[in-house]
Amino acid sequence: MADSALLNLVLYLPVFAIVAIIALPAQRVDLVRGVTLTAMLAQLALAAWLYMRFDASLDGLQFETRLPWIVSWGVYYQIGLDGYNLLLVLLTAFLGPLVVAGAFTAIQKDVKLFYALICALQFAMIGAFVAQDLFLFYLFWETMLIPLFLIIGIWGGERRIYATLKFVLYTAFGSILMLAAVIYFVYSLSTTTGVSSFAFADLYKAELPLHVQTILLAAFALSFAIKVPMVPLHTWLPDAHVEAPTAGSVVLAGVLLKMGTYGFMKLGFPMFPDAARLLAPVFGTLAVVSIIYGACLALVQTDIKKIIAYSSISHLGYVMLGLVSLDLIGVQGAVMQMVSHGLVAGGLFLMVGMVYERCHTRELAAYGGLAKLLPLYSVFFALLTLAAIGLPTTSGFTGEFLVLLGAFRAAWPRFLQGASYPLVLSASAVAGVVLGAWYMLWFAQRFLFGPAKAPHRPFPDLNLREKTILAALVAAVFWLGIFPDEPMKKTELASRQYQQLVAAERTGTPVASRAGAVAALPAQPEPEKTR
Amino acid sequence: MSWIDAVIAMLPEHFLLAGIVGALLLEIAGPARQRSALAVSLAAVLLAAASAAALSASGYAFAPFSGHYSVDASAFAAKAIVLALAVPVLLISRSAAGERAFSVLFLSSLYGVLLLLSSDSFLTLFLGLELMSLPVYALILVAFRRPESAEGALKYLVLGGAATATLLMGVSLLYGWSGSLGISAFEKALASPDAMAAVGAALIIVAFFLKAAIVPFHTWAPDAYESATAPVTAYMATIIKAGVLLAAVRLFGTAPLSRPMADLLAVLPLASIVWGNLAAMRQQSFRRMIAYSSIAHAGYLFYAFLGEGAGRFQAVTFYVLAYGLMNLLAFAALPRGEDGSVRDRLDDLKGLFQRQPYAALAIGVAMLSLAGIPPLPGFVAKFLIFRNVFAAGFTLYAVLGLVGSYLGIYFYLRVIQYLFMSTEEAAGPARRPGRLALSASLICLFAAMLIAVFPGWVIDKL
Repeated sequence: MADSALLNLVLYLPVFAIVAIIALPAQRVDLVRGVTLTAMLAQLALAAWLYMRFDASLDGLQFETRLPWIVSWGVYYQIGLDGYNLLLVLLTAFLGPLVVAGAFTAIQKDVKLFYALICALQFAMIGAFVAQDLFLFYLFWETMLIPLFLIIGIWGGERRIYATLKFVLYTAFGSILMLAAVIYFVYSLSTTTGVSSFAFADLYKAELPLHVQTILLAAFALSFAIKVPMVPLHTWLPDAHVEAPTAGSVVLAGVLLKMGTYGFMKLGFPMFPDAARLLAPVFGTLAVVSIIYGACLALVQTDIKKIIAYSSISHLGYVMLGLVSLDLIGVQGAVMQMVSHGLVAGGLFLMVGMVYERCHTRELAAYGGLAKLLPLYSVFFALLTLAAIGLPTTSGFTGEFLVLLGAFRAAWPRFLQGASYPLVLSASAVAGVVLGAWYMLWFAQRFLFGPAKAPHRPFPDLNLREKTILAALVAAVFWLGIFPDEPMKKTELASRQYQQLVAAERTGTPVASRAGAVAALPAQPEPEKTR
Repeated sequence: MSWIDAVIAMLPEHFLLAGIVGALLLEIAGPARQRSALAVSLAAVLLAAASAAALSASGYAFAPFSGHYSVDASAFAAKAIVLALAVPVLLISRSAAGERAFSVLFLSSLYGVLLLLSSDSFLTLFLGLELMSLPVYALILVAFRRPESAEGALKYLVLGGAATATLLMGVSLLYGWSGSLGISAFEKALASPDAMAAVGAALIIVAFFLKAAIVPFHTWAPDAYESATAPVTAYMATIIKAGVLLAAVRLFGTAPLSRPMADLLAVLPLASIVWGNLAAMRQQSFRRMIAYSSIAHAGYLFYAFLGEGAGRFQAVTFYVLAYGLMNLLAFAALPRGEDGSVRDRLDDLKGLFQRQPYAALAIGVAMLSLAGIPPLPGFVAKFLIFRNVFAAGFTLYAVLGLVGSYLGIYFYLRVIQYLFMSTEEAAGPARRPGRLALSASLICLFAAMLIAVFPGWVIDKL
């Protein structure tokens, strides 16, 4: 199968690049950069080709590879593209060359190691997205930690050791409980069905009692919620972002955070649907709290990177809201919001990096009136700001609007039945939009307008490399904003499948007690669980 | 019994014996033959490993001394793994100069390990255990350079003696209870409600805990590890531990555990995991850190006994292989001081990546694998063990053990932080590891990558 070989090539190109980088002499820094960039561009081209070849009318996996790996455990090497991961793979491949090119001047120390780690990170991230086997997914999921741990720890700012250890220890704690849940889950399935399988497709058929589902979902959700991150598990994110070098921040905001929401969408909710519906009010509340709390914190920050970091928490709250709404439009909006946030937050971090390279400070108070000093830079920055706010014709609009629409569509019938809480949640999320516009516009106003001031003047405006990077980003942002139709068509079947999977009842219990479980589905949240 | 079978069944042992004799003859011939002693022992170990692997693949099974000593495919596989692990140990022993008796003592101890892995009676078991341990007491003292060496060796000797005494007491009780010296008596005693049998079995378990350094019987390990030279520490941390654990698997057989026995076998290893990982955080010496880490790993290994049947042997064997490779990789790549002795303080590792990138990467890989972070082999090994514990129904212990293993991540990452993220230079210049040590680390790295990518290939053979 030529096509499945192509997907493997997309996955392993960074590995080949690592081998090439190791073989290159350390002095030939330009060659190292060139090789990495070439590999990333080739990866992007292949991923784009696969995206175009992806048939939106087919259900299930495309470009699939399935090979036996650890036979006695039932572990398969199974990868493939579907509507869930298609856009995220494309996003990862798209950000790859931008990250590499963006670091050309910023990284001068241990260049070989840096690009090798970026490639390793790229490999692990694409791998986690395309994996269709829980064991394989977990391998990639954990592998991701190490390159980023080193990237933040070696090339980061002053408090980098603290930040990177905090990042790894937070995420590793979630992962270890997830590992326990994975083993327990697969084992308990193999005792009931007699088949030991890690394949997602098989795990979607699992029938487990509600309390088991709830515990397992809680373990998975802890890991994913740390990664997203959802309030109150978010405290590692601002530290990691602030201390990370630009490339680290871009990958972190652009792709890594989506691992959490992707995990909820692909694994957590569909595998434990009854528990997901039971806990939906909890996740919904946390999502809205993240939206509003993140926005409020972004308002009061004085460090530019922290503003964007907290805005990420807020924006990913929408993704979670869309996912728990279980409305088709909301789910599709969540997917679009993931991609949009990857582009916008990734782009904003890149831009902060560009200005940091010139002025060596991230204090907002040190800047002002950049529109006069760096006119071209300011245009791009303003465009990305508008996309972050969710102005129509930008990708941010598509995502946020669809999520809110979906949330209301799901909440309204419940409201008519007398459950007002979902509607309150949706309405509160709208307040988040207002807050979002407030902090972003206020930030842009202080940053770009007013009396011109910046440390270390004069400095040049964007060079060709930077212009190319930003032009590509802004083009993608507008493409998703103006023509969202095509990517949404390709994710529609997957969103429907997600909806059906989470709506299904799979407690495996007699009808009588199942009715009890449904009655126990409250629209009210349990306050003690939300803390 | 045809003599041909006796020769074939003990072929790996015979090769080692030939190596011991060869090394002794070289010793008589003169002190100038250091290099050839190494070559002879290397050849002996390689031949033994190859023969064990070939016999395992052929599925050969025989009992040359029925009731005392038997071999089958899985015993040969375990022997092949232990012998293969001995190769890098020998390769790094070259750089520790002035150890004239090293080869003889090393091969003798290895012979003891092989005996252990085939023992069917407590007599052979005891013989193997002592033959394995006694040369190590001497090995610690051989490179007697620092005053602490004597202290460490003495502690090891005294506590080793205590373990022997405990084992003998337990064996006597079992003999009195069952009238048999076969190790199957132990399996029966585990299931028996009789007090004498239970006490006997518990004493034997305690003896193994002492040998494997399980909390609270662990205090000898940090001192002994710190006193010895690098190859001996590596040998103790990998092969001795492997020998003890594989012997324990042989002893426990495939019988499921009764509940109180399972609790004994879970609580102390759990304490080891937690305490080993916590104490390792505070260490300033690399070898003391590895000692505490090995205490924690002994805990994971004994966890495997909670699992059922054939899974035990599989899990323990794979774990000692992955764990051994990683420890050896770290020891082979450690930078050396002016006099060729391995530098031991963690501070010496600061900024190593700037000076010796390959060594830093190798140690980094070893640390991540010991921490159990995928895709490295340490992860699959841990997965295998905890999968069995879950499968046996000990969900709570499994979750606690996993959380305990989380505690360990920090100190492994601290080493990586020193290696890569520290801008200060270490005090004093350091030499690169020698060529043999380098090749040892490459072998370990290559083998580790192989079992990381194709773990099923090894697991299905066990």
